[in-house]
Amino acid sequence: MSDITALRTQIDAIDAQIVALLNARAVHALAIGRLKEQAHEPVYQPAREADVLAHVRSLNQGPLDDGAVTRLFERIIDEARRLERLAAHPESGGGR
Amino acid sequence: MVVVMQERASEAQIQAIIAQLVEMGFDVHRSSGASRTVLGAVGNGNADPQLLEVQDGVQEVLRISEPYKLASRTFKPENTVITIGDVRIGGDEVIVMAGPCSAESEEQVEATTAAVKRAGAKILRGGAFKPRSSPYSFQGLGEPGLKMLRAAADRHDLYLVTEVMEIKHIPLIEQYADIFQVGARNMQNYSLLRELGHARKPVLLKRGISATIEEWLLSAEYVLAGGNMEVMLCERGIRTFESYTRNTLDISAIPVVQKLSHLPVVVDPSHGTGRRDKVAAMARAAVAAGADALIIEVHCDPDHAKSDGAQSMFPAQFERLMAELRIIAPAIGRSICVEPVARLGWSR
Repeated sequence: MSDITALRTQIDAIDAQIVALLNARAVHALAIGRLKEQAHEPVYQPAREADVLAHVRSLNQGPLDDGAVTRLFERIIDEARRLERLAAHPESGGGR
Repeated sequence: MVVVMQERASEAQIQAIIAQLVEMGFDVHRSSGASRTVLGAVGNGNADPQLLEVQDGVQEVLRISEPYKLASRTFKPENTVITIGDVRIGGDEVIVMAGPCSAESEEQVEATTAAVKRAGAKILRGGAFKPRSSPYSFQGLGEPGLKMLRAAADRHDLYLVTEVMEIKHIPLIEQYADIFQVGARNMQNYSLLRELGHARKPVLLKRGISATIEEWLLSAEYVLAGGNMEVMLCERGIRTFESYTRNTLDISAIPVVQKLSHLPVVVDPSHGTGRRDKVAAMARAAVAAGADALIIEVHCDPDHAKSDGAQSMFPAQFERLMAELRIIAPAIGRSICVEPVARLGWSR
């Protein structure tokens, strides 16, 4: 039992880092959203999204397989795209 | 909305759909599966699913929210109860509306009203403007008929539901009736429905003979959107390939509508079958299935009725039916006409 508790404590610590890193990433996404708005560029840029996914797959050393990493980052990209939209059009509303 | 891409959809096709959804104002959640990609579109975007479904690479588009809003249980989780005086439609008590198809004469209206009151009906039904399939059939007495119905309802302490066929009759009928009935043939008369949205009295909206439940709820939406939140939905049979009965009463519509909507459900077993000898069985089934109210045609002398004689019950048949319903309703936690009835006069 105590082994599990120790491992869970470590997972909690990693989660704290993940949340901080995701938010650090989100700050940049927000900035990009504002720049895209100024430059009248579309929020959705499929080529860039494909590059991001290719990049994280190339870094992957397991035990998650490439498919798992892709799916996890698709969710991160979904949320970044939403943030960029909100940065560009704050009046369009959020929703949770 | 969920967009399921085809197994062989190319990346370019997937990207085109995402771009379109983003442009429509959705937040897109992409999940790339082993064989196919699914796109979840959430938020306040506006899209025609059929328009997306015909795009290259799309397998199917699933709508997850209903096209009607105010009529939906999502909008209002608790049941709507419509109160007319001391009668509550949509509460624990099953309300029975009964009376002749049409007002024909003072004597016929009085005799029929007295009979339905004695049996336990709370609301008198009866038409003064009749939408008949043939222009040569009896079309109703008009305002004199409304006066007869109102006077009989008042004499017997009943409320009155009667059909409104056109916009110009709304002010006239509003003077006499407690509930506007919109007939099956007018279910998609959107200008009439819109106008009833501004009326101050409840609306009983019959299901069109070829209407889906979704179309029916969208018709209710027209009334609700105008600000009149007192709409009850009346199942009265739909057209099927079966010709033995006049229509096929869709009993399953009762639980379906009650799941999708908060509005009370009324069942009309008279039009639902078109045959007097089948009305009682369908009325019993409707109460057992959870109907909030029934609307039944009763005539003091059905064999000489000017309209719908074949489906009008004799007063004695109606009394027997009410006694049976009083046994069925408690089995599902409902009551029916709690007042004592003078004489049951039935045997089995």
